Amino acid sequence: MSNTLEQSPPTEESETLIEVEGLKKYYGGEGMFSDPPVKAVDGVSFEIKRGETLGLVGESGCGKSTLGRTLLALEIATEGSIIYDGTDITGLSGTELKEWRKNAQMVFQDPESSLNDRMTVGEIIREPLDAHSWKTMTDRRERVLDLLSAVGLPDKHYFRYPHQFSGGQRQRIGIARALALEPDFLVLDEPVSALDVSVQAKIIRLLEDLQEDFNLTYLLIAHDLSVVRYISDRVAVMYLGKIMEKGETEEVFSNASNPYTQSLLSAIPEPDPSAASQRITLSGTPPSPSDAPAGCNLSTRCPAKIRPEAYADADRDLWQAIERFREVVRERARVALSLGDRVRRRFNRFDRFDDIEDSRADTFDGVEVPERVDQQIETAVEMVKRGEPMEAQQHLYTEFASVCDHERPEMHEVSVSGRQSYCHRHTDEYEDVEPVISRRADNE
Amino acid sequence: MSDRHTAESIREELTHRDNQSLSARITENPEPFLRWAVPMVALIAVEFATWAGIAVGMIEALVVGVVAAVELTLNYASPGLAQVVADFQAGVAGMLRSVGGMLGEFPTLLSREVIPNQGHQTPDGAWQGTFLGLQPAVAWAIRFSLIMLYALVTAYWVFRGWLVYRDHYRESDWTPTDDIVSNLRGHRWGQFGIIVLIVFLTMAAFGSALAPSTVSQNIENTYGDESRIQYLSDDGTVETAFAGDANFNSKSKGTVETNIGLMSYDDYSRFHPFGTMPNGRDLFTFMMGGARITMIVSGMAITGAAVVAMTLSMLSAYYSGSLDLGVLTVADGVVSIPQLLLLIIMSAVFADTWLGSILDGGFLLALIFAFTTWPFLWRAVRGPALQVAQEDWVRAAESYGQQPRKIMRKHMLPYILGYLLVYASMSVGGIIISLSALSFLGNGLGISPPTPAWGRAISAGQSYVSTVSWHISLVPGLMIVLLVTGMNALGDGIRDAIDPETETGEGEEAAAGGGG
Ligand code: SF4
Repeated sequence: MSNTLEQSPPTEESETLIEVEGLKKYYGGEGMFSDPPVKAVDGVSFEIKRGETLGLVGESGCGKSTLGRTLLALEIATEGSIIYDGTDITGLSGTELKEWRKNAQMVFQDPESSLNDRMTVGEIIREPLDAHSWKTMTDRRERVLDLLSAVGLPDKHYFRYPHQFSGGQRQRIGIARALALEPDFLVLDEPVSALDVSVQAKIIRLLEDLQEDFNLTYLLIAHDLSVVRYISDRVAVMYLGKIMEKGETEEVFSNASNPYTQSLLSAIPEPDPSAASQRITLSGTPPSPSDAPAGCNLSTRCPAKIRPEAYADADRDLWQAIERFREVVRERARVALSLGDRVRRRFNRFDRFDDIEDSRADTFDGVEVPERVDQQIETAVEMVKRGEPMEAQQHLYTEFASVCDHERPEMHEVSVSGRQSYCHRHTDEYEDVEPVISRRADNE
Repeated sequence: MSDRHTAESIREELTHRDNQSLSARITENPEPFLRWAVPMVALIAVEFATWAGIAVGMIEALVVGVVAAVELTLNYASPGLAQVVADFQAGVAGMLRSVGGMLGEFPTLLSREVIPNQGHQTPDGAWQGTFLGLQPAVAWAIRFSLIMLYALVTAYWVFRGWLVYRDHYRESDWTPTDDIVSNLRGHRWGQFGIIVLIVFLTMAAFGSALAPSTVSQNIENTYGDESRIQYLSDDGTVETAFAGDANFNSKSKGTVETNIGLMSYDDYSRFHPFGTMPNGRDLFTFMMGGARITMIVSGMAITGAAVVAMTLSMLSAYYSGSLDLGVLTVADGVVSIPQLLLLIIMSAVFADTWLGSILDGGFLLALIFAFTTWPFLWRAVRGPALQVAQEDWVRAAESYGQQPRKIMRKHMLPYILGYLLVYASMSVGGIIISLSALSFLGNGLGISPPTPAWGRAISAGQSYVSTVSWHISLVPGLMIVLLVTGMNALGDGIRDAIDPETETGEGEEAAAGGGG
């Protein structure tokens, strides 16, 4: 190809391109009577170095896409700062913001939805240039053709419509559009998850080549761990709006410290069957982002959760039953009571939650329950039956909660390379994660 | 379709030629264009006066509309200034009208002068004054058919122009429009709608040439110099009479002696394709006049409503939140006003103002119908608008800093335009019916007499429905039914064309009765 894109000279002003500090993004919850806010991103900090790829992994709904959009100023941050090359972009607006937008672009997940079907490919790729009145019309056309060849599409596609292309080709068009304004930073939001497996590899290779050619910095959002492992230099693992662990990719994948990361990784089928690996399962389902636990985010599901002093030696089955019962009560507490129910509660006629007895019987079936625990459970059951599950939740909390429930952990450095993990167990006070998990798994 | 480009030529064309416009492409390969353009020019030329008249009329309407808006706003600030604006409007309108008058002098090919149908029999039985000495009925039928044929051919030729552009000059070898057109080409019901629309538009545009009699002889100036007609009297001599007197003796009053029915002659050798009215006027001529006012008023009303609905739906979908809520509240407010009450109040308030006199009250009616119809259209397209506002391509456009105005125009409008067309063509039926209903009620409602209105013809024939003069009410009624059905068919056709997956009759008729 005779026409190659002009390459922006590698700038060496600073190592770090993006520095995120205490970033929060809440939805709703402003008015006096509104529901509690949805905490999509709840205080995350990380940095991305120039030219590197940071992988951001987590289950869907963990806030990783919101984080990506907030980084591009498509969402207004609730709190915290995003320093891009020395400027805090959370404060930008108007022309400044528009000017800044040239630096950072996005590649979308769904190539069906990311391209306007009523415009030709040429118009689509040219639009960012038009929006910024980039040079002359002829220059813009020329640049579009250069971009087309950069992403491996022939010139003749200029006058075609997205409808005439396959998913992989459409994704290439989307990438060309993202590159039009010569950005330094791209957010890749699940760039291949909507594509056929055979096409995925090609797109990933293209993204790698482009990164090299144009000195790009990537934030790769994905739930496919193998893609992340392949392309990322560093990884951040997100759960319920928090970063649980972040560090060098290989280290995180081979030697994860955080219980959440470990359970996530244990779900990948091991290519080597002889390797001793157990599946570490998380109990229950993730709580809603508007109802995140007060302590550690993972405390409702953690396989390595710290037990309170008094129950440190309790039987494993008993403890699990207690945790399960707490989850049952938590669910009851989430149910909004109707007006009729409240009136009934007022006059001690409330009976909607009487089935809590059955749940209790199920949960503690075949488990030997000591006197003291039984009393606490009994009190909680009575409270639930009266229609006061919140009180019951509180009661159980006072009796059975541990440091994981009431204190937020810190980011602890867990390796010489600077890997960090969000868990109380990295302090000297508590046993480390690894032995606890394997011991609890062995008991199974 | 073959690719017109080789690999190098695209880059060449896009980057090294200053002008890659359509005209450059035509200059390069003029033949297909000329083969289309020459007949097109000929088609326009033979009816130049008519087309120019329409253009002048549209400009006049535009001036009146814009000035009306300016004047209404100015009236609050300074009545004096508003008066100046009103005077300006009157001046411009007067000038345009004289231009229109001049245009009327130009000859057209398919006119009553070239193919006359009014004449009389000489005592020896031959016809004098008619086209080629044919019977008036035959002469009229020839003129009528030729005009309709001309209109359909012209409409096709315009479409043909798009085909030529597509096959020879368009850069893309395929666009989404192609699919819509080819879907519509296989949609008989939708084509029926298109033809009905063309036929009625032709009646509106060519009404005076289509009619057997002139408006002047029929309604306006029945005792004027130009309204003298000659006829063969019972004694075998050719005599002269005023059209007014002839009309007086040609009434359809429900008895066999006093009835001129469908496809019949009166005593003055005048042919009445649709018979006469109770006051002796030619119903066909009356219907043509009615078609013009109906098409103009309902066209303006639905266009106005569609523009408002389109703008608001995009704004409310893009910004959502409190703006959406605000529009919703206003729309609900407008819907809750009883339409008939509003029409009566407005007609009374504006009765003697210049606003109430434009188009014989039609302009005011169009405004009111636009005002009461937009909430229905807005509701119908709000869903699609909200949906398209959620698409990633809108997010993408935001991410490179595209202006909201352009995002709405380029990334949202093309997707809701189709729905808007569908619902607009289905809602226009309601407006047509309401408009006729108002004229039917009379009493200062609807189009002011003597300007013909379909509803008034129905009302005039109401007491003769069960007599031999049943045609007076029936014909206008059938015309309304045909037009409304046609517009619904058109809406169905467009819907199926833009979205072939939805099967017909899937409960989207909600908007059909909109304006009614
Ligand atoms: S702090 Fe550590 S051990 Fe406790 S719940 Fe969280 S991840 Fe689990």
